[in-house]
Amino acid sequence: MRGNATTSLLRRLLYSLITIVGVAALVFVLLRMVPGNPVATLLGERADAETVERISSSLGLDKPLPVQFADYVLGALSGDFGESFTLGKPVVDLIGPAFMNTLRLAIAAALVAWVVGIACGLFAATHKGALVDRLFMGISLLGVSLPVFMVAMLLQYVFARYLHWLPVAGISDWTGYVLPAIALGWGSAGSVARLVRSSVIEELQQDYIDTARAKGRTKRQVLVLHALRNAMLPVITLMAMQFSGLLSGAFITETVFSINGIGRLSVQAITGRDIPLLQGTTLLIAFVIVMGNLVADLLYGISDPRVRKGV
Amino acid sequence: MLNSTLEVSHLCTSFFTDRGEVKAVDDVSLRVDKGQVVGIVGESGCGKSMVARSVMGLVKKPGKIVGGSIVLNGQELTSLDDKELCEVRGRDVSMVFQEPMTSLNPTMRVGRQVQEVVAIHEQVSKEQARQRTLEILSAVGIPEVEARYDAYPHELSGGLRQRVMIAMAMIMRPSLLIADEPTTALDATVEAQIIALLKRLAHTGTSVLIISHNLGVIAQLADYVYVMYAGRIVEKADVCELFDNPLHPYTHGLLGAVSSLRSQSKVLQTIPGVVPNLANLPAGCSFAPRCDRCMAACDSVRPELVTVGAGHELCCHLTKGVDVL
Amino acid sequence: MDPSTGFDVLPMAEDEPGHVPASAAFDRIAYVLRRLARDHKTAIVSAVVIVLFVLGAVFAPVLTPYDYNDINLSQRLSPPSLEHLFGTDEGGRDILTRMLYGSRVSLIIGVVPTLLSIAAGTLIGMVAGYVGGKVDTVIMRVADVVMSFPSMLLAMVVMYTLGDGTINVFFTMVLVGWAGIARVVRSETLKLKEREYVEAARIMGVRPTRIMLRHLLPNCLPTIIVLFTLEVPSSILTESGLSFLGMGVQPPNASWGLMVSAGRVFLYHAPWLCFAPCLAIMVIVLAFNYLGDGLRDVLDPHLQSQ
Repeated sequence: MRGNATTSLLRRLLYSLITIVGVAALVFVLLRMVPGNPVATLLGERADAETVERISSSLGLDKPLPVQFADYVLGALSGDFGESFTLGKPVVDLIGPAFMNTLRLAIAAALVAWVVGIACGLFAATHKGALVDRLFMGISLLGVSLPVFMVAMLLQYVFARYLHWLPVAGISDWTGYVLPAIALGWGSAGSVARLVRSSVIEELQQDYIDTARAKGRTKRQVLVLHALRNAMLPVITLMAMQFSGLLSGAFITETVFSINGIGRLSVQAITGRDIPLLQGTTLLIAFVIVMGNLVADLLYGISDPRVRKGV
Repeated sequence: MLNSTLEVSHLCTSFFTDRGEVKAVDDVSLRVDKGQVVGIVGESGCGKSMVARSVMGLVKKPGKIVGGSIVLNGQELTSLDDKELCEVRGRDVSMVFQEPMTSLNPTMRVGRQVQEVVAIHEQVSKEQARQRTLEILSAVGIPEVEARYDAYPHELSGGLRQRVMIAMAMIMRPSLLIADEPTTALDATVEAQIIALLKRLAHTGTSVLIISHNLGVIAQLADYVYVMYAGRIVEKADVCELFDNPLHPYTHGLLGAVSSLRSQSKVLQTIPGVVPNLANLPAGCSFAPRCDRCMAACDSVRPELVTVGAGHELCCHLTKGVDVL
Repeated sequence: MDPSTGFDVLPMAEDEPGHVPASAAFDRIAYVLRRLARDHKTAIVSAVVIVLFVLGAVFAPVLTPYDYNDINLSQRLSPPSLEHLFGTDEGGRDILTRMLYGSRVSLIIGVVPTLLSIAAGTLIGMVAGYVGGKVDTVIMRVADVVMSFPSMLLAMVVMYTLGDGTINVFFTMVLVGWAGIARVVRSETLKLKEREYVEAARIMGVRPTRIMLRHLLPNCLPTIIVLFTLEVPSSILTESGLSFLGMGVQPPNASWGLMVSAGRVFLYHAPWLCFAPCLAIMVIVLAFNYLGDGLRDVLDPHLQSQ
């Protein structure tokens, strides 16, 4: 039993590693498929051939691709992701603080998404078929259907410009996180609510619910102590994957609210044709997602005894 | 002192569906005396589980008890609200379900699930509750209780799980235990063990209401038997009387469908047809369409329960014929 | 209903299980429509809305007297009026007209790449599931890599490489989209592979391509249809997001995302610039989601719990 668990953990770790290397290679190749010399593009027409060559060679761009990739991987392993073309700083120094901002935003958004999503899903499940249920599920589908920029702009318009309750942009203090967190978490709240609802409804139909009722538990106790506990198993998996999604999907939210996070940095890197920076952010995001999936897998294994014991 | 543990009179439980009211239990009266084992037998869909659920107060929507009374130890249950019923459930009356595979919470250790019953109904320390759980688990014949206490349901065999269910039902020493098809999902050998266990429990003074479609199980356990068909009691008698002198054609059919070493016939008899749709019952006797002794009156007049012998009642137009003879 | 297949209530041909002849296909469509009309009226309404959008996109030149790029500076930022139902933008262009033309972009980008990704994903997923072994492992690892990118980011990287433009948006969406579909089709194929009739066909020496086309594909179809209706809105959202960030369709072409992005500057004194395209995105995405939800309920109970 134990041996199986360890091998399956090792296999998952190996798969995750392969995926990350795959992502790195894909990004690397994609970015080097750009026609023309990126340095020339970057420097514009003013640059003479000699300067282009000098900078290219200092950046290692004149070496063959596999060598460049090996250099890159080795550098990355020692924490060196190169230097940003446009901002003139080591990529690591740019990514670090940006990631912290994104992390805070993701945590805030996750709080919004999960609290609202679980509460609404639970409420809808216990009032299945009633008006509230249909209303909540309608709203949750709306949550999944609205483009992020629309929610973001609407919030900005109403709460910042019109009511002046919260800052329009920036994150100088915690109030700055409120609107972006809602904008970013809105869609996730919708999908959490839908999953919680269907999962709770499914659990409430199980035989063991009757057993618990026959023991003398009230409906509410059965819901909280038995049904909810089991219904949360798939939800936990979704939440783990969502969290990595929130960490990596904030391009639009960060842009609308001018938050210097990973998403906005990636957008800047693309518009500025800044290969090292884009490589750095992409790799980081892929890493976060792979880790999120791994954690989701592991959490599911830990929280469900049937899976844990390999049944 | 009261003699009966459970007294159900004129119980009606209906389901309210889009297509109208469906009478799952129609005017059922039954009685379980102290220490007695009473069986309800009938095909699936005849409403016998609904009787059990009604007694437990666990009829699911859109079902509802629409009439009659259920008196447990002198206490009327139909007028209690859910909170009051919660105090009764598990303490005074408990239930063992058909499917031991799914009736236990899959993510909770079995010991905790048994202990939970004590925690609901009594203020005792964790240690005491645990001690009592271990005692009851070994009382229902579970080996190595200390280890089993921490097991999850999927780690136990079907027989052990059903023992856990019985332990859970018995830990508060309820006055009535309802067992709804307790052996249907089990192997024949395990079935025999569970029946032996239930028999032992009955001897300790707990009244048992056992529900089964299997007359063999009923014959081994019950003192008194009710035969149900399409939501109604069609015949009731002492177990020996019923097996020796079955009067209702449906009971005949059920007995014919059981293979018995005593029987000379090599061919198993079956009852033709299926249980009728409860939403659309015939005007007369519900069994008439399947009955091989159907008479003119059976199609139009609904028969009533009539006493035909000592403790033997029958709901069939044939009683008139019996009287004449 | 047979719980193992979930949709055996649908009329099926008797002669060759798993193969659906045309008449049975009609019966199935009729059955689906009946169920939708009974239990999912919103899905029917959604289908009507989608058809209206398609008609609007096709007949845009007939429906509006303006050209989508008619600049008229004297009419700059005029609020909604009878003349301009949704007002005009910073160039005095009629917003309704631009929206109608924009719906061409959004619908085409929503539908065409999705069809292509579904074709690619189905093929790849079916081969992976049917052939199994090393091929399966490699394909699924590659799918993992693709899925480890947020679709927006991968799209942005590809756009960076290829440059922007509609064709590149297509290509990007297919590159991003096939993996998720391949995964679902693969697991469906793995299930179907175990069915007796597939086994029987294999033992009788039917060629794998024929087994896939005649037995696996028709049975994956309900799942694929549902995936399609759920993928389209997400493609529309991705496109609008990309265009919003300035990385998708380029001006002077009209796209809803682009219109919102351009209108954002005027959000506070001319909110109608953003209002109309936002509304359009919301309505079409909602319509597809409702339709997908309804179809999933009717066609494919396996997917329900997701």
